Amino acid sequence: MIPSGIAPTEVTRILFQDFSLWMLLAFYAYAITAMAVFAFGVYVQVRKYRSGQRGAAFSWRQLATRLADTAKVIASHRALRRRDARTGRLHAFIFYGFTLLFIGTATITLQEDILGPLLGVNFWHGQFYLLFKLVLNLAGAGFIAGLTYMMYRRGWLRPPKLDYARPDRTPEDADFSRERYRIEDWAFLWTLLLIGITGFLLSGARMVWLQAEPAVWETRWWAPFGALVAAGLKAIGMSSEGAGALRMGLWWFHGVLALTFVALIPYTKAKHIVTAATSWLLKDPNALNHLPLGNLDADHIGYRTLGDVSSRYLVQADACTKCGRCHEACPARAAGYPLSPRDVILTLREQANALLGEVLPKPRAAACATPLVGLATGEFRPDTLWSCRQCGACTEICPVGVEHLPLINLLRRDMVDQGNMDSALQRTLGAIGKTGNCFNESRRKRPQWTRDLPLKIKDARKEPVEVLWFVGDYASFDPRSQKVSRAFARILHAAGIDFGILYEGETTAGNDVRRVGEEGLFQQLAEGNVETLSGCTFSRIVTTDPHSFNTLKNEYPDLGGSYQVSHASAYLKELLDAGRIAPARQLDFTVTYHDPCHLGRLNKGYDAPREVVAATGAKLVELPRSRDNSFCCGAGGGRVWVPDPPGTSKVSEIRAREAAEIEGLDVLVVNCPKCMTMLEDAVKTTGNERNFRVMELTELLAEALEADAVAPAAAPAEVG
Amino acid sequence: MKILVPVKRVASLDDEFELRDDGRDVDPDFCEFDLNEFDEYALETAVLIKEAAPEGTVEVVVLTIGPDDADDTLRKALAKGADRAIRVDDADLGDADRVAIARIIAKVAEQEEPGLVLCGAQSSDFGHAQTGMSVAALLGWPRVAVVSRLDYAPGAASATVERELEGGLVERIEVETPAVLTIQLGINTPRYASLRAIKQANAKAIESRTPTDLGLSTGEIGGAGALSRVRRVYVPERGKSEMIEGTPSQQAARLLEIIEEVQG
Repeated sequence: MIPSGIAPTEVTRILFQDFSLWMLLAFYAYAITAMAVFAFGVYVQVRKYRSGQRGAAFSWRQLATRLADTAKVIASHRALRRRDARTGRLHAFIFYGFTLLFIGTATITLQEDILGPLLGVNFWHGQFYLLFKLVLNLAGAGFIAGLTYMMYRRGWLRPPKLDYARPDRTPEDADFSRERYRIEDWAFLWTLLLIGITGFLLSGARMVWLQAEPAVWETRWWAPFGALVAAGLKAIGMSSEGAGALRMGLWWFHGVLALTFVALIPYTKAKHIVTAATSWLLKDPNALNHLPLGNLDADHIGYRTLGDVSSRYLVQADACTKCGRCHEACPARAAGYPLSPRDVILTLREQANALLGEVLPKPRAAACATPLVGLATGEFRPDTLWSCRQCGACTEICPVGVEHLPLINLLRRDMVDQGNMDSALQRTLGAIGKTGNCFNESRRKRPQWTRDLPLKIKDARKEPVEVLWFVGDYASFDPRSQKVSRAFARILHAAGIDFGILYEGETTAGNDVRRVGEEGLFQQLAEGNVETLSGCTFSRIVTTDPHSFNTLKNEYPDLGGSYQVSHASAYLKELLDAGRIAPARQLDFTVTYHDPCHLGRLNKGYDAPREVVAATGAKLVELPRSRDNSFCCGAGGGRVWVPDPPGTSKVSEIRAREAAEIEGLDVLVVNCPKCMTMLEDAVKTTGNERNFRVMELTELLAEALEADAVAPAAAPAEVG
Repeated sequence: MKILVPVKRVASLDDEFELRDDGRDVDPDFCEFDLNEFDEYALETAVLIKEAAPEGTVEVVVLTIGPDDADDTLRKALAKGADRAIRVDDADLGDADRVAIARIIAKVAEQEEPGLVLCGAQSSDFGHAQTGMSVAALLGWPRVAVVSRLDYAPGAASATVERELEGGLVERIEVETPAVLTIQLGINTPRYASLRAIKQANAKAIESRTPTDLGLSTGEIGGAGALSRVRRVYVPERGKSEMIEGTPSQQAARLLEIIEEVQG
């Protein structure tokens, strides 16, 4: 509280105390210049973003929800704490420290330059002032603690994700090194740290300088860190006059540094203060599972030149703080492919800055016509873009809402259109265009897997069914997956489900065709399937294939097909809950579960499969990377159709080795025909064939149901 | 300058198929149809020549003979860079053989006056490798078959071509133009026609002609103009095979039995 005998109005800080007029003028001139430099920087950046293509504007209601979500994410630091909790927490120290100090400075400006002179309202004194000091002192301490930790992390801990090694370039390339970002990284930390430290020194020096004034000296412990500095200064024999001189010097150093920092925000990584929040605000909540519908009638498709890129991606490129979470999560990067999602984003940033971020306005046409993909400096390499599995690990973990996945897809669309792709991929797309499946088999052969079944599956094109089972390519044609399809059919039959398939009428759903970037073929396939489905009577769609599941559920609505779609694992969980099927025995296996990207990360189907595993009685040991952090099997994005180049390790082998680490593992449970193909191979090539098996969840359940559920179906029986 | 590329819509068979009632071909219900792979290389060769020349100086014309089902094939060719597409159709073409087809191609070539006719070396379904040569014979033009490399400047009086021979030998030939060349697989990498490009090719007109338009009489087309006739298509009886199982001595004993059976 305010000691007695001191008037509350005296308990304050006199700004510019003992300043001459020229000092005052010089300070305001510098401050105004700094604001002007800041404003110009903002103008240049906004102008850069505006040279991108506009996306769909969102409504006010959406805006309110988005603002609330953005505020929540920033306040909680939820996105920043994921997979790196300590760094996230310490960033919160810096964030809250900076925010409070900023609010504090703004409050002083409000009092000194606006309310005071205009309205004569003065509030910055007395008890309020003391509380203000206390809060800002604590904020400053947190700020310094956070910054110190970040320096320790960069300087001593040196996590690999923070190095700037570019997998998409070789040392011979001019743009190989991004090491120069380190200068900025350290300058950023040092500037903020110096602002914080000089703030405390300044506070202490003022106390010593004005030690004779009780309003200052008697209330000094309200600024505990300032008071400690003051005690230190007195201890080394600092006089009041000396402290006055020190205060004057520090005042200018601190003020100029802080104003310079503000001026430079739009030009340096400090801009993430604004861009990260904006990027999160603009982000597409369905970026992982729903790709933008391409216009096939336009002059070209996807992103060919810089001018094609939408504004949102330009903002995202500036939001990136190079935290390396995407770099760490990327399966292609982990397996040694020339791709880092971080470097993709930084390439876009550097191109946009170099060509669209000029300080002086210039005609934009030439810059916008700059090609994006190629082998030149600053271009995305085709190999880089083709390494992507579209697994979404990067986009899902990004704490600032960068959407690498659709960006890479849009870049691929033009490459496909130009024929700039692997010849194996070209052959597969050709086969899909011709036969409607990626196995280059005749349409007639699609339902052949049903021949060995002791039951006849209804033809959903000819009679109404309750459940329409969309089988998908792999589950129809791949001999290993056909076994799973038959197991699923027997389970449905035993449960007395009224179900049917489309027989020859089904073509591949096109999820991966779209992920490759062949948008035209995808739309054709989807339109064909929608037409076939529109002639059928059913109440819901079930599929064992997470890829088909994803596109049917999330992307077919754009092409006129809205259905209730469930993945087989969720449907089996329903049947278990409803008592339509019941395990006859408990399996005494130790199993682990590999989350398929398209079911897990893309559609948040994490729990149902685990509950099905639990129902079988098998002991589930989680993989080190599971659920949202699941590690792609390597098949996604059309990579299942492209042979891995010699010399690279396979993504699937990394995963198989991860599973092999689990003590006493009997079964690696997968839940996707493509994961089955990739991981069964990888288990063999990593020499684990004798150690554990790969089974689909459906098969595991079928084994548990066996005694009473599957056996009766062995006798031929008609369904329905 | 024009380059004429005659293309064929070829059939590929299912594992299981049935023959047509007359026993002279496979029931088309059991086939998937596509642009002949050899023709894709011929087309790519033509498009590469066009792209290397100043814009607008070379026109690539694709031609097919058949009913309107074959339009898909032409659209694909247009999507891959052809400028014009011609389809010749007539109800009487059913029994045409290579020579009867070549008569039509030759007539179109006479009308279009191309500097080169580039054919695929053969079709992937029947594999006669005769159509291109017949066209050259009918036109009386120089011809080279199974070309694996082509150097040609549009408008030049000759082209240099290479053919791969056995033992790794390469034969280099200078051929006067206009000429008919049949193109071998592997001469280039045919480009991918995206669905978008094929859709956009739908907007291009396909020129439809009849043999009469071309000045061919009924005696020159279809079965009447053919020099050969398919009598029967059939699956020959398969030879017997048997997996010999058991211990080595059992296997040897069974082998001796079989040898004795065969020797009678």
